[in-house]
Amino acid sequence: MFKPEILLVDDNPADLDLTSEVLARNERPKRVSSVMNGVEALGFLRHEGKYADTPDPDLILLDLNLPRKDGRAVLAEVKADPLLRRTPIVVFSTSQAEFDIMQSYNLGANSYVTKPGDLPEFVQAVESIENFWFGCARLPRKEEQ
Amino acid sequence: MIAGELIVEAEAQKLHAKGEKLSVLMVEDSVADTELIRRELEHGGFDLSSEVVQTAEEFARQVHSNSFHVVLADFNLPQWNGMEALELLRREGLDIPLILVSGALPDITAVDCIKQGAADYVLKDRLARLPSAIRSALQEKQLREERKRAEHELAQKVEELARSNRELEHFAYVASHDLQEPLRMVATYTQLLAERYRGKLDAQAEKYIHYAVDGAKRMQTLIQDLLAFSRVGRQDTTFAPVDCNLILHQALESLQLAIRESGAVLTYARLPEVMANSSQLLQVFSNLLANAIKFRGSDKPNIHISAERQAGEFAFSVRDNGIGIASENAQDVFVIFRRLHTRTEYPGNGIGLAICRKIVEQHGGKIWVTSREGRGSTFTFTLPVTEPVPAAQEKFKQEYVQA
Repeated sequence: MFKPEILLVDDNPADLDLTSEVLARNERPKRVSSVMNGVEALGFLRHEGKYADTPDPDLILLDLNLPRKDGRAVLAEVKADPLLRRTPIVVFSTSQAEFDIMQSYNLGANSYVTKPGDLPEFVQAVESIENFWFGCARLPRKEEQ
Repeated sequence: MIAGELIVEAEAQKLHAKGEKLSVLMVEDSVADTELIRRELEHGGFDLSSEVVQTAEEFARQVHSNSFHVVLADFNLPQWNGMEALELLRREGLDIPLILVSGALPDITAVDCIKQGAADYVLKDRLARLPSAIRSALQEKQLREERKRAEHELAQKVEELARSNRELEHFAYVASHDLQEPLRMVATYTQLLAERYRGKLDAQAEKYIHYAVDGAKRMQTLIQDLLAFSRVGRQDTTFAPVDCNLILHQALESLQLAIRESGAVLTYARLPEVMANSSQLLQVFSNLLANAIKFRGSDKPNIHISAERQAGEFAFSVRDNGIGIASENAQDVFVIFRRLHTRTEYPGNGIGLAICRKIVEQHGGKIWVTSREGRGSTFTFTLPVTEPVPAAQEKFKQEYVQA
């Protein structure tokens, strides 16, 4: 059975915990990895250094305001990289600013979800993302590593 | 005593200001002419202090070392001419009115001199005109300075405004992201706590958790509302002809559920077309209608929407049979976050009418309420009447045909 790989990129440990916890709530088997800044995220995706053996994610949940290299820069780099660009990126941020939403889509985000400030809504948002990307959408075929 | 002294001193200062000497720089090679000019000015009521120069070098030295009120320059001097003096003043950025005082001058040169920036020119055989020429040159200079000061102040205000707008943008971003994030942590983790320990906590603890979550959530909505309020007028503010009947229908559609649940009866007259920002106008109608439904009494809501033309504006009214507002509170309801009821009686943050007022005022109108407690309210807002412009089109057509 298909076991999706999900990469969480977020500098807030509380958000990483919450998202992982919510992802673990349903039956769908999956593997969740997380990194806490933009430089690490690109290292992970390019299998650099300690990330030599990491899997290619099927989906990236990307926060926008990150230390070292922020989410917008990560988005721009991934979407400009012919090997990485096909990996769907869901921007998952607290920001509701029109500017952030526009900019994310302009940079090639596959969707933009504002993190809800209410637990049931948060659970629902994460479930919707999972159900869409792993239950409804067809994902690009991964090259064998 | 002190007040009396002050008045005397102020009077003295005024006199002193009036008696200030007129300081004149003359560019002149004829001693006889300088004497004639001096005499004419004294005769014209000026108390004079003057310097006379003949060469460009002397002129440059004088304008730098003294502050003159006016330069009187002969047009034709042996070594240079009055126009060069004008050029030098301009180059140095000195705003000293220069009046050409010369013998017969060809008309073309006189006009040219004025074009180049001379304040005036006075013929030597008509020197009696000189004092009034000087007075108006000084007056013009004063006006010039005042205008320059006003322009400078305006530019400063524009710059300040731009800066405060940038700060506001930044604030809005901070509010929409940086303030929301910690709040989200408080709310979701308290909820998570409640979920995890459900059944293990006593009723008191459950209540405390409820208070904490409720507080965090209220803060979230307050921030949202504040953002919505500050966005009015900063986002898209293009005005276009808007059919208010369509807007009303959109508003009613969005309130369908509330209308059905409350059993509200809505009636409306035909509404006009206005120049407005349609999404903002929709918000005004939606907020007023939502309030009319929300603040209902024991009877089913009965709401009437109408518009009438009064002179240069349309007055739109939303009349209800709800709980009404005591007259002493009629102004308060438009103030942001001002509420007349507790949240348990009527939910809400007190933002809707504040937004309505901001939008209506931005459209050049006014909003107010007439009401009697327990007898319903009528909210009225005005929007300016803007005539369509067939006349301009007609004119264009005519011109086009003629061409």
